Amino acid sequence: MTQAEIKLCSLLLQEHFGEIVEKIGVHLIRTGSQPLRVIAHDTGTSLDQVKKALCVLIQHNLVTYQVHKRGVVEYEAQCSRVLRMLRYPRYIYTSKTLYSDTGELIVEELLLNGKMTMSAVVKKVADRLTETMEDGKTMDYAEVSNTFVRLADTHFVQRCPLVPATENSDPGPPPPAPTLVINEKDMYLVPKLSLIGKGKRRRSSEEDAAGEPKAKRLKHTTENKEPIPDDGIYWQANLDRFHQHFRDQTIVSAVANRMDQTSSEIVRTMLRMSEITTPSCAPFTQPLSSNEIFRSLPVGYNISKQVLDQYLTLLADDPLEFVGKSGDSGGGMYVINLHKALASLATATLESVVQERFGSRCARIFRLVLQKKHLEQKQVEDFAMIPAKEAKDMLYKMLSENFISLQEIPKTPDHAPSRTFYLYTVNILSAARMLLHRCYKSIANLIERRQFETKENKRLLEKSQRVEAIIASMQATGAEEEQLQEIEEMITAPERQQLETLKRNVNKLDASEIQVDETIFLLESYIESTMKR
Amino acid sequence: MAGNKGRGRAAYSFNIEAVGFARGEKLPDVVLKPPPLFPDTDYKAVPLKTGEGEDYMRALKQELRETMKRMPYFIETPEEKQDWRRLPRELMPRKKCKKVGPKSKKATDAGKVTSLTNTADVLKKIEELEKRDDGEKSDEETEEKEGNKEKSKEGDDDEDDAAEQEEYDEEEQEEENDYINSYFEDGDDFGADSDDNMDEATY
Repeated sequence: MTQAEIKLCSLLLQEHFGEIVEKIGVHLIRTGSQPLRVIAHDTGTSLDQVKKALCVLIQHNLVTYQVHKRGVVEYEAQCSRVLRMLRYPRYIYTSKTLYSDTGELIVEELLLNGKMTMSAVVKKVADRLTETMEDGKTMDYAEVSNTFVRLADTHFVQRCPLVPATENSDPGPPPPAPTLVINEKDMYLVPKLSLIGKGKRRRSSEEDAAGEPKAKRLKHTTENKEPIPDDGIYWQANLDRFHQHFRDQTIVSAVANRMDQTSSEIVRTMLRMSEITTPSCAPFTQPLSSNEIFRSLPVGYNISKQVLDQYLTLLADDPLEFVGKSGDSGGGMYVINLHKALASLATATLESVVQERFGSRCARIFRLVLQKKHLEQKQVEDFAMIPAKEAKDMLYKMLSENFISLQEIPKTPDHAPSRTFYLYTVNILSAARMLLHRCYKSIANLIERRQFETKENKRLLEKSQRVEAIIASMQATGAEEEQLQEIEEMITAPERQQLETLKRNVNKLDASEIQVDETIFLLESYIESTMKR
Repeated sequence: MAGNKGRGRAAYSFNIEAVGFARGEKLPDVVLKPPPLFPDTDYKAVPLKTGEGEDYMRALKQELRETMKRMPYFIETPEEKQDWRRLPRELMPRKKCKKVGPKSKKATDAGKVTSLTNTADVLKKIEELEKRDDGEKSDEETEEKEGNKEKSKEGDDDEDDAAEQEEYDEEEQEEENDYINSYFEDGDDFGADSDDNMDEATY
C-alpha cells in the first residue's frame, strides 16, 4: 500500500468511525495480518478499545479474520475496501435511479450498517419511508420486500458468508473463530419471509404521553424478543455488481459521445444481454448474434434489421474497437471488447489530463507518441510541427511528471550513450498507475482542506445551528414574525456572508471528491482488467 | 580514463544532440532546491460538472457524513484518566457536557423514537449547545433538565438516570458554593475597601 493510499484510508476511517477505529485500521493496513494482542501492544491501545474497533471494522467488511495454527486468530485489513467508502454516494444514487426511493434507502442502510438481516432492513426502510409520507399514510413491508427481492435478483445485494451448521456429534471445543462459507448458488437466494406490517411513524409531540414512558419501554423490549425468522442470514451490498453497472454506463456514454444515441442504445442492449452470461472481469462479452440483438432491443425502438446491421458494422469498424465482429453466423456475431474499451477510456483520461495541465500543444505531442509508439526527439519535432526548443521543453516536462518515458535501445553491447537510441514512448499502464496515485493524493488534500475550512469556522457554524434550533422551536410554539426576525438578526450580515462562502467552498470540495473518485474508478478498472489478462 | 578534461570545451560522453541540445551552450539551470510545495499552474482547472445527479450525490455525501457520526459504530476517544482525588471537583467532566452524552443516547435508541419537534427536547438541545460554550450551568437550566429527564421517553437505563441525578444534586450544591461567603460579611467595610484599593480590577 502506498503512503498516499494509507493517508487517504486514515482520513476516511477517522471521518466515519472516529480516532480509535482509525488507529487500529491504519495499523492493520500498514503491518498486514496480526493477532489481537499484538495489535493492542503495538498501537498502545487498551485491549477493550481494540476489541470494539475490530468489531466495527469487521461489521463493515473492512477487516477479515482467519484462524491460524495453534488457534491464533489473525486480523487483516482490506485497504481497497476502505477506499470504496468514497463511492457510497454513487452507489446510493445509482440504486435510486434503478429502483427509486425504496431501493435507495435499502442500499443506504446496508452501506451504513455493513451487514443486516433482510427483516431488519425492511423494517428500517419502511419506517424511514413512512416518515416522509403524508400524515396517515404508511409504507407497507411487502412493497419494501419486493424491492429487496428485485435487488437480490439483479445481484445488487448479496448474502454474506454464513456460519456453517455444526453437527452436534462434534466432540471437540468450538474453534476460536468460525470459518464462514457461502455457496455460489445461495448467494442471491432470498429467504422465504412473510413480513407483514407497516412502517411506523415517529410519535409527534401531541401524542406524547408524558406519564407513561416506562410502559412503552417495556413494550419495546418484549417486541424485540420475538424470534427473527431469518436470524443469521445477513446481506451486504454487492459492490462488484455496482462497478459492473458503472463500467457499462461509461461505455454507453462514450459510444453516445463518439457516435450517436442509437449506437449507444445498441451497445447498451448488448451489455444488458451479457450481464448474467459474462463474468465482470472478462476481456470481452460472449458473442451475440445480430438476430438476438434485434429481438432484445428496447420496445420503443423502431429500427429495421438492416439499419441495425449497418450500425453494428459501423461500430465494429470504428478504430476505437469497442465492438468487434467475431463471426458471421446468425446475421453476424458481435462482441463488446471490454478490455479495449477500458483501455481507450483510460487513455482518453490521460490525454485529457495532459491537455489540461500542459496545454494543447503538449497534448498533440502526447497523442503523437501514443499513436506512433516510439519516437526519437527529432521525429517528434518533425511530426508535431512544433519548433525544436519548445518540443524539447514540453517533452521534458511530461517526462519529469512521468506521463512519457524514455526507452533506451543500445546499438552496441556496452550501452555507450553516444551509440544508443533514446526513444520517447507512452507506457499506458504505468502512466495510469501514476495518475491513480495522484488521484489518491488529490482526494486526501481535498478532505484535509475541507476539514480545515470547517474547523476555522467552527464557532460560527455552531452559532448558526443554535439559532436555527431556536427558530425551529419558536415556530413550533407559534411565535410572531417580529420575534423570529430578532432571532435571525443574531447572525450579522458579515457572518452570513462568511457562512455562505464556507458553504460554497465545502460544496465545491465535496463535489470535487466525488468527481476525482470517478477517475479513480476508471483507472482502477483498467488496471485490474490489464492485470487479469 | 578522464578523457580530454582540460583541453577545449565540455566533451560529453554521449551525443548531446540525441537529447535535443545543439552544440552551443545554453543548458538549462541546475536545480538547486526541491520543487515548490504549491507550484504555479499555467492553466486554470476545468470547472466541475454540474447537474441534478451531481448535486444529489453531493447532498447525499454530506448527509452520510453527519449520519455516520451519530451511528453506534462511531467510537469517540475516551477522556484521559485523571486522579480525581487531587483535583477540584468542579473540573470533573460531567456526562451532560461531553458530546458523547446526547449522541450515545441517540445511538442506543437507534430503533426507538425521538422527536425533534418535541419542545422539551429542543430546549434541552439548545441548552447543551450553550453549555459547550459556557461550561457552566445556571440553576434554572438544571431544574429544566431534571424536569426534562423525567418527561423524557428515551429508553435510558435507570442506572444512568440515577447517576446523572446524583451528579445534578452535587452540582446544585456546588453552584450554591460558588459565591464565597466572606464577600458580604463585612458589610460596613465593603464600600470603603473598594474605594481605597484601585489596584484591583473592577468587573
